[in-house]
Parts: sequence; C-alpha cells; structure tokens
Amino acid sequence: MRREDVTIELDRDPSDYLPDESLSGSWSFAAASDGEVRSAELSVLWYTEGKGDEDFGVQHFERLSAYEAGPVESGRPQRFSLRLPRAPLTYDGVLVKVCWCVRVRVFWDGGETVGEAPFRLGDVARAREVPT
Amino acid sequence: MTRPAGNPFATRQVRPGAVPFFFRDGESAAGLVERLRAAGWWGQLVGPHGTGKSTLLAALLPHLRAAGRDPLPVVRHQGERALPAVVRDNLGRAGRAGRRLLLVIDGYEQLSWWTAWRLRCLCRGGGHGLLVTAHAGVGLPELYRTCVSREAARRVVAHLTAGAAPTVTDAEVAERLAARAGNLREALFDLYDLHEQRRLHVSTAGVISPAQPPSFATPTT
Repeated sequence: MRREDVTIELDRDPSDYLPDESLSGSWSFAAASDGEVRSAELSVLWYTEGKGDEDFGVQHFERLSAYEAGPVESGRPQRFSLRLPRAPLTYDGVLVKVCWCVRVRVFWDGGETVGEAPFRLGDVARAREVPT
Repeated sequence: MTRPAGNPFATRQVRPGAVPFFFRDGESAAGLVERLRAAGWWGQLVGPHGTGKSTLLAALLPHLRAAGRDPLPVVRHQGERALPAVVRDNLGRAGRAGRRLLLVIDGYEQLSWWTAWRLRCLCRGGGHGLLVTAHAGVGLPELYRTCVSREAARRVVAHLTAGAAPTVTDAEVAERLAARAGNLREALFDLYDLHEQRRLHVSTAGVISPAQPPSFATPTT
C-alpha cells in the first residue's frame, strides 16, 4: 500500500477555515494487496515545524479496528465532521510554523501507510521581510 | 495557500528515523547487526556531535528486531546521569523470564560511572546485549565510527529536497559542513535559515532557488 492509496477529501475547496467553523469531509483507502488491513485511524491535528522542539495537538480522533468492529472495509468512504477550535491558528513563520491537517493512518499486516490533507485555520498573514 | 510552505530542513524532516542513514561503501545495517551478533551483542557507535549516531541507531532498530533481539531504546540527554527505574525493572524481569533484551542507549557517556558500571553488571548477569552511542570509545567493541563526508551531506540534502526544485547548492552544503566542522545537524539548521531567508524574497507563487539572495557569503540582516 502506498501513500497515494489513502484518499482524504475535504468538503471545502480551497480548504481555508475560520475558528469555530465546521470541518467535514470523507476518507477512504484502497485495498492492501500485500496484507489485511487491521485498523485505520483518522486524526485532525496541528503540529509545529521549525528548527527546535516540535509540538502537536490532536483535535479529533476516530479509529476503525478489525478487532472491535469486524473487517475494515477498503474503498468505502467514511464521513467525518467536527467543530474547529479557536486556536492555534495556522502560521507561516520563519522560526516556527503552525500547520493543520487531516491525517489518516492505515495499519496493515505489512506495515503502515499515512495520508494527509492540509488545511488552513484562520487568516494570519505569513511572515515577511521587514525593510531595514 | 492552504498550509505553510514546508522547510525541508525542519526538525521533523531531519530527526533520527525521518531521514535514512547513508552508509560508507561496503557497510550496511545488516552487516553491522552481524558484527554486533559476533561480538556477543555488545557494541558501541562512536562519533562527534551531529554525525549521525542517533540516525544510525534508528536505522538499525528494525534490523535488530529482525535478527531476533528485542531492543530496549533509551535516550540520555545532557545531565541525565541515571537510567529510568523502568529500564532496570524491565531488564531484571526479562532476565528472570529467560528473555534476552538488547539495551540500546543513545548518549551513553551521560551516565555516571556508577550507573554505567551497574548497568554493565546487570546486562552481563541477565545475558542482555548492550549497544550504545558515545562521542568517544567507552570500552565496548566498536561497530562503526560516524563522520560526515561532503558526499554524504550532499546525499542527505538530495534526499530531503527530493521532488522539489533545489533551494541550496551543493557548494553551499559543503561550505556549511566545513563551517560547522563536520556537524551535519548544525549545517542542516543553517540551511533551514537560508531556505527561509530565500523564501522571504519571493512572492507566494514564486519559486525558491539558489539564484536568489541571500547567500552565506553575503548574509542579509
């Protein structure tokens, strides 16, 4: 299974959201030809990116498990919906960036495949050079 | 733009496990595991700061599992002189159950001599293996000595920027590696800054390229 085999579609295009808005969409994955899918997880999360320590927070989490609910079906789109928080807002800084995404992790017998759909929360301007 | 433009030299891209370890010619992870096995599962990976010891450890872990040794990874940062109690408990419990673990300590020289001595006794008594990283030899069989060549640094940067237009040149990578005395981690952080400075010079839809200022030779403020 490859990264491209995981599909995440947000209902809004472009995927720019304001705080407290609703985020919804669907996700699915192709059948793993090289092993049975054991579970799949959907997370809506933010993370920091930069030169130093990293931080992240999970706003929403769903899990499909073959052990709990029978075989995890491939191909069938799963819907999700949640209310976005007021912070942290997406920020495109120099020393640090704050990124939001919907992430799907599919665990199968031969390993793990991850797909991501980024989106923007808020409307904070990106960092810019200050004339000296 | 939906998300902040990613920086290929950010921590999440360059941390151990996120970037592969590029072995010298004739060396491989499987070969190192075989040498470790031949040394009774005791060994050390030695090298200066920022030369890939932790990245090498991360690359070895799946091969150690495949070789049938259950690795127990522990990281010791500056000033962390003792081992977590849970590590000693796990070693003791596994030893009593007849299970042989492989204790993997990243930053072994941080341990006090007393902790290190007790640890060796505990591992030897329980039949456990011990694989460590250190900046200088600590008296264990040496499996690998890390150092970063210009070619290795170029390969790491090519991996990080794969699929994207190059934002730094090979000459800049080599210059930063030399300026940092072979510490690739620090050199990559310098390249992070250079990437960001160049990004500020282009429009949102523009393309970052080495042709844009600044350069290390003529830094802007």
